[in-house]
Amino acid sequence: MTSSLFNRMLRIDLGARRASVWDVSDRVRAYLGGMGTGVRILCDEVDPTIDPLAPANKIVLTVGPLTGTAAPMHAQSCIVTKSPLSGTILNSYAGGFLGPEVKFCGLDGIIFEGAAEDWSILLIDDDQVRFESATPILGATTEAAEAYVKETYGSDYRTLSIGPAGERAVAMAGAFSETRAFGRGGAGAVFGSKRIKAVGIRGSHAVMTADPARFSELVAQNMDALRGARAEEYGLVGIFSRFGTGGGMPLVNGRGALPTKNHTYGSFEGAEQIDGPYYESNFYTRRIACFGCPIHCGRLHKFSGTDGQELWGRGPEYETMFSFGSNLLNNDPQLLAEANRLTEHYGVDSLTTGVTIAWALEMAEAGKLTSPGLDLQFGCPEAVLGLLELICTREGIGDLLANGPRRAALELGNDSLARAMQVKNSGFAAWMPRRMKGTGLAYATSNRGACHKRAPIGAEIAGAMDMESYEGKAAALIENQNVVNAIFTLISCRFHEFVTDHETYPALIAAATGQAFSWDKLVTLGERIWNLEKLFNLKAGLTRADDRLPGKCFEPVLGKTSQSSVMEAEKFEAMLDEYYRLRGWDSDGVPTAEKLEALGIAEDARE
Amino acid sequence: MGFDIEIGKCTECKRCMIACSLAKSGSVRMRSSRIEIVPNWPEVPEIRVCRFEDCEGHPCIAACPVAAITESKGRVLIDAETCIGCSACVRVCPYHAIRMDDGIARKCDLCGGDPACVKECVTEALKRREVSP
Repeated sequence: MTSSLFNRMLRIDLGARRASVWDVSDRVRAYLGGMGTGVRILCDEVDPTIDPLAPANKIVLTVGPLTGTAAPMHAQSCIVTKSPLSGTILNSYAGGFLGPEVKFCGLDGIIFEGAAEDWSILLIDDDQVRFESATPILGATTEAAEAYVKETYGSDYRTLSIGPAGERAVAMAGAFSETRAFGRGGAGAVFGSKRIKAVGIRGSHAVMTADPARFSELVAQNMDALRGARAEEYGLVGIFSRFGTGGGMPLVNGRGALPTKNHTYGSFEGAEQIDGPYYESNFYTRRIACFGCPIHCGRLHKFSGTDGQELWGRGPEYETMFSFGSNLLNNDPQLLAEANRLTEHYGVDSLTTGVTIAWALEMAEAGKLTSPGLDLQFGCPEAVLGLLELICTREGIGDLLANGPRRAALELGNDSLARAMQVKNSGFAAWMPRRMKGTGLAYATSNRGACHKRAPIGAEIAGAMDMESYEGKAAALIENQNVVNAIFTLISCRFHEFVTDHETYPALIAAATGQAFSWDKLVTLGERIWNLEKLFNLKAGLTRADDRLPGKCFEPVLGKTSQSSVMEAEKFEAMLDEYYRLRGWDSDGVPTAEKLEALGIAEDARE
Repeated sequence: MGFDIEIGKCTECKRCMIACSLAKSGSVRMRSSRIEIVPNWPEVPEIRVCRFEDCEGHPCIAACPVAAITESKGRVLIDAETCIGCSACVRVCPYHAIRMDDGIARKCDLCGGDPACVKECVTEALKRREVSP
């Protein structure tokens, strides 16, 4: 039967410089695609106890059954690997055009195995791979590396690259693709450990569907729903369409949940100089979209750098407006744009990098950290840009900070760990856990560390749930984690699910692949994946202690809008107990045999 | 009829190309699309598609050595059976609107007057021109 899935992946043995087509096994196919197939493969093929930067780690790049089809908002591809930042299993996503191009190669994924002997550029044409020397672009920015691939080998290659940070094993280094990023978790450092500087991907295949007429009908209905959401003045998707993701900043600030000065305050006076509407009205702006997306939340701006030079740069996303804005007391939109641009050029995750800098500035304020020649004060441009460069080049105290906030704090010692706003060494996102208790539990329990993509943020910010309450948060969060995992097998954009009726997903899968998946079965698949990841992390040595929030979360938030909010330690532990129980896990967070049996993954149980 | 293009509104999402390739080949295959978004990052892209009404003299017709290209009802059409794949038309098109695919010259035929691409362009960067100015 015709299907939008090819059921083929490319395995590239980097050491042997050899590629072979792998017919995806039935065992893996049962996980549909995206995050699901990625997690199944990594759990089957990678020992959880290995050093993430050793050749034994693998990078599984996957797409889903809707990638490369006309279904809107399915541009993302997924990387699953063992994270050098968190030491956990990682799933990380990037939009743009890379995912569809993998599909146009006639593939559902690419598995990078081993390590190359010399720094390499990989050129993938359908299922053929060529290795070229990366010597001419070593040390180059992600932008320059990708321009080199296009200029040297063909402008129709879609590209992926790492920057200087990935080459130097900075723990929060990302893998970049034409300004979109696999940001979280350090995938860039894993590519660096395998000596892959850049990848070009170019496909010639057509993507077909099992039932084209039905599929077109569903896509047209979905497009109508998205057009409606796009036009809504106060709807989140409408706001993202008009102002980018930073359009939501005034709302979060107004709710006193915008982390400010390393999570000391819950609102920022300078927020309106760095939010989405400000950029849109004060800078030359181009609205840009991922493959086939009608929402176009991406932005390109022209701005002036600190040296007065005119620069193009991607509009900072909301999360970066926090991590290099409010959280550093930076209300200068040009400085924020320049920092954002530098994170892309060096190739690091702007979230965890910014969170690490915020911790360093608080430590400097307390007299515990200095850096020669840098005035380490919140809001100081030299401090912000200076620390960013030191991290990315691993120079001076940057070498300490480049290991991530948790490891840096452990090395600095004393009570500094309590001020590092992270879980599992992964930086907090732009939502304050003391104000939003369910989001706090999400940060604590996420398998990849402090993750906001699977959190009851919408319900808490919009007021459907009392954001300060602990009540019902564990159950809401579990539902959220399972649902998001389900749509990340497809791989739907997180914003797609804000608008799309859940019943649309099984209908799209059936019309695309001919496979029958009820919504309930999809959500159970999401739960199965969550449990598989948990098992991987337990085998890697993580315990209940890794599902805790840093000490600062148990002190009151300062500032007038935040009502002295605090996370109460006993109530947090009770919420965590409730979460484990509802998940079918024991009090140490270990999935019970009954739960694993019910999910059909008993054989994956802890050894 | 033809197209009105407001390039500043283009987000480079390529839904026009997806719609075109589906209309013309029944599958999503970007090389089958007869409209093309050519990036000029970070500046605005170029939309390459037949601009019949704006095109002076329709040089593709004269350039074809086998008379595979004809004008009919305000459109220029390429007969795939007659085309010998010499790409002479590709070279003379002032709008770069003709592409070679599988050895045959392909171009936009305006979908018989109701272009599939226009319906997918949510920002209205690409619009149907109803009446000649």
